[in-house]
Amino acid sequence: MKVAELLDTRRDNWRQLEGLCVQMEGRGRRRLGGAGTARFAALYRAACADLALADAYNLPTGTVTYLHRLVARAHNQLYRSRRFDLARWGHELFHEVPRRLRRDNCLRAALLIFWGLFFAALLFGRHSPEFLNSLIGKDQLENARDMYSKQLDREDASVSGAMNGFYIQHNISIGLECFAWGLLFGIGGLVDLAFNAVQLGAIFGYMTTVPEWHNFSQFVTAHGPFELTAIAVSAAAGMRLGFSMINTHGLSRIASLQQAGREAMPTMGAAMVMLAIAAMIEAFLSPSSAPYAVKAAVAIVSSVLLFFYIFVLGRPPRGVPDSQASTTSAIAQEPTSAA
Amino acid sequence: MQKPGPQIDSRIEVVTPENIAFQYRVAGPFRRMPAYLIDILIRIAAILVARWAILLLGIAGGSSFMGFGFGAMLVIWFVLEWFYGGLFETFWNGQTPGKWAVGVRVVATDGQPINALQAVMRNVLRAADALPVLTLPLPGGGGMMELFLYQVGLWVPAFNDRYQRLGDLACGTMVVIDATPALYGVVRITEPEAIRLADLIPHNFVVNRSLARTLSLYVDRRRGLSWTRRLEIARPLAEPLRTMFGLPPQTNADLLLAAVYYRAFYAPTVAETNPARGIVATAKPPEPAPPAPWLIPQATSQSQVERLADIENYLDRIG
Repeated sequence: MKVAELLDTRRDNWRQLEGLCVQMEGRGRRRLGGAGTARFAALYRAACADLALADAYNLPTGTVTYLHRLVARAHNQLYRSRRFDLARWGHELFHEVPRRLRRDNCLRAALLIFWGLFFAALLFGRHSPEFLNSLIGKDQLENARDMYSKQLDREDASVSGAMNGFYIQHNISIGLECFAWGLLFGIGGLVDLAFNAVQLGAIFGYMTTVPEWHNFSQFVTAHGPFELTAIAVSAAAGMRLGFSMINTHGLSRIASLQQAGREAMPTMGAAMVMLAIAAMIEAFLSPSSAPYAVKAAVAIVSSVLLFFYIFVLGRPPRGVPDSQASTTSAIAQEPTSAA
Repeated sequence: MQKPGPQIDSRIEVVTPENIAFQYRVAGPFRRMPAYLIDILIRIAAILVARWAILLLGIAGGSSFMGFGFGAMLVIWFVLEWFYGGLFETFWNGQTPGKWAVGVRVVATDGQPINALQAVMRNVLRAADALPVLTLPLPGGGGMMELFLYQVGLWVPAFNDRYQRLGDLACGTMVVIDATPALYGVVRITEPEAIRLADLIPHNFVVNRSLARTLSLYVDRRRGLSWTRRLEIARPLAEPLRTMFGLPPQTNADLLLAAVYYRAFYAPTVAETNPARGIVATAKPPEPAPPAPWLIPQATSQSQVERLADIENYLDRIG
């Protein structure tokens, strides 16, 4: 059989397959129905066979290119991965991430660096005005003082709503930046974390020396634990990504990076949730005129919750020693389902 | 298929579970950058629309609504800045509006469509590709402006055979060109001389794969070339074929290749047809014109004269 006849007989099938691909891309495979799906599968197998035998049939180059694209398109429709599975994400957030955080050396390092630099900058800011001026600048310090010069008594819910949006945008952006810059061999996230720690510490140190300290401490107490822990968690997730390219555990650098990425993103998701909660507390509770006991109670409850999350939910499963608890995330292991 | 050498173009081969290998063409920066810029414009437009909507609603709803509206707008801006790409690539099978306009798509490196984790993470890690960042004072004074130079995102793909930036490397994805070419069939040979020449080719001559591929490439392109250029290109391949078939030296090289193409793709030989029915040609040659002057060879020796007479008789018979 010559090529011209062969193409005439096969061309119809290819056009049909192309039409089914367009249908599936547009409306999804549910609309095809059982018969349509079976027809699609049969046409796909036939097109694969045509491509495999393209050389034996001596097909022209343009036809071979067309077949490559057609098979690729149909392959994309046939092999789909699962998109969103809430149960899986719940399991990921409440079981896998705490286990990873509990064993994570990067998290311990990030917390150490953050708090160490924070307290160092606090002591420096308290005792050395030149340090403050060179780091932050006079007018920003004056701004900080003015913000807390009045009693905290915001009752207007709409302003709190606005500030809620602002804190969500500002803080979660900082957290995501820390995470993404960790990709630069782990150094970028560390630098960002250190910079934030020193700035915060300096401002804290300055405020301890002025009479507005009273209002300031009332403001920061309630949302402090969530926010500072979340920043450290996001920096730690970024450091994991970066260090995976250096310490590859026998895999190639790219494969090690991809494996670390599958684990790091859910951790970052947990950090984003923590930052969102901190933003809501910071917008609605911290500037309000509630008594200090309430804010301190919220701080204590949030610390207990964080402790519970990392140390209790993060316990390894019964019978498995700590070092051998599962490391790969459940989401990344979801099997791809064929239509 | 012969094993390809080191890759020098942008085609990536993917082997599927059906054990066939198909090829993608990966998209370089000159396709991805316009897609990114289109996405930026769409995001700016969306933020402006949201701002105007909230302002109008705020005027209608009163000042207490304005605060929440402002907060909502900031949240919308945050979501658009970090998760625009991730959400679109999850629900549109790897495309954002900018990518759809340019005609590229994000797929995993093994050819499968991307899942939500990969889509979101590759867009979040774009912050690492956007480095280095310059913090400059705003021109009008009063504040700082951050300028993202995006150098990491331009240089890392240059050293990668799949044009993957850092976000793609960490997620195992690549961006491929999505265009579907038209179906090119077998080219129709229109010169009757070529069709007649096809009958002079020995019947036991089998066109092998590389020759078939070369002929199809040549015949695809020859329509756009002048006849001197066709002769120039066809001569190196036509000379050995001509001597193999025993045809006269003045045979037109271009028509000879077209004739071999016709033999390979269209006409069955005598041996392939049903002897009881006689010679059947699947493609009817058009009404023959008198033989073109360049095909009529000049005789130079007696044996050649006899052979040429045979050829002319044959041409008259089938013509």
